[in-house]
Amino acid sequence: MSGRSSPAGAQEWVARPERGSLASIKIGVWIALRLGRRLGQLFLYPVCLYFLFSSPAALRASRDYLGRALGQRAGWRDCYRHFLIFGSCVLDRVFLLNEQDHWFDITVTGDDLLRQIDQQGGGCLLFGAHFGSFEAARTVRRRYRDLPVSLLMYEENAKKIRAALGAINPRLETEVIGLGRLDSLIAVAERLRAGHFVGVLADRNPDGRDMVRLPFLGTEAAFPQGPFKVAMMLGRPVVMMAGLYHGKGRYEVRFELLAPAHERRPANPKAWMDETMRLYVAKLEALCREAPHNWFNFYEFWA
Amino acid sequence: MTSTTLPQSFDEAELANLITSTLNLDTAAAEIDPDAPLHGEGLGLDSIDMLEISLVVAQRYGVKLRADDENNQSIFKSLRTLSAHIQAHRASA
Repeated sequence: MSGRSSPAGAQEWVARPERGSLASIKIGVWIALRLGRRLGQLFLYPVCLYFLFSSPAALRASRDYLGRALGQRAGWRDCYRHFLIFGSCVLDRVFLLNEQDHWFDITVTGDDLLRQIDQQGGGCLLFGAHFGSFEAARTVRRRYRDLPVSLLMYEENAKKIRAALGAINPRLETEVIGLGRLDSLIAVAERLRAGHFVGVLADRNPDGRDMVRLPFLGTEAAFPQGPFKVAMMLGRPVVMMAGLYHGKGRYEVRFELLAPAHERRPANPKAWMDETMRLYVAKLEALCREAPHNWFNFYEFWA
Repeated sequence: MTSTTLPQSFDEAELANLITSTLNLDTAAAEIDPDAPLHGEGLGLDSIDMLEISLVVAQRYGVKLRADDENNQSIFKSLRTLSAHIQAHRASA
């Protein structure tokens, strides 16, 4: 089991050194909060231009992806816009996590689905992707009650994110569950039973295990089966979640049902997983066509 | 390592069977070294496997493996430690 192969593409972004240490995140957050969003945005133009020239691998990935999503060859302007949208979402995180919602115009569709699930008791799985803004989606919890939201992620990322979140808003650290322990998913099962909403970014798996190839924007790409297997075992509703960024502070958060709850395991677990994955990938593809610059997998996704 | 290891006890063999059949492991149940780590080098189980095991253990033995158990590091160490934990907490024991 330990000898399963890992595709190079999925490994690449793990190996790539993180841009900026914790100290620089803290300084960045401090400056951003003092400058405010409008001035902070101005800084993005030179910063993203710098990254456009200094990160050839990310630029190549951006161009490859945009070509597929736009259906035509992407020029450097498209890529610059791609980088700027990414930069905006990263910067806005600071304001969203500090509950400074006044900078934004956030519309939400499908939150009645969450309310329904919450009223029935027991949480649900929120399946997102490295697409748009998870933080914008997370603001929904503040709208009607303090819904407990946890985030499940790979241990290496969990460590970094926990530290970064702590730097932004210390209350947020406990919301991250790392996958580094054998009992990590037992913790997820317990939180779901307690009515938590557990977010999972289901489009990546850094160890490259259990990948399934599915058609995505014209060519097959590998998606991890793990999240869908966990969903199958736990039987809680699976909701697709996306926070689209449309520019100028406008976010659109969407929730859509991917799979309803099941009491007993499906008669054919494999078929259930395949169907739920197919639906997830199809919805993700539709999102990419609709808001192409919201895709934040800056590595060779189709490797 | 194998030369110094004690063979599986009855309870350990039963648990080993449950684990290999649930997870469809290539390793035969009887060949699992009861002292080998479940994680990494040994059986190579991951957190998804462990979730699966926790579900069948709850069903079969009525024992809930909990994430907030401080002793989990030692409980999930090997087949032997896991089996000992289950036997100590069995509802009908």
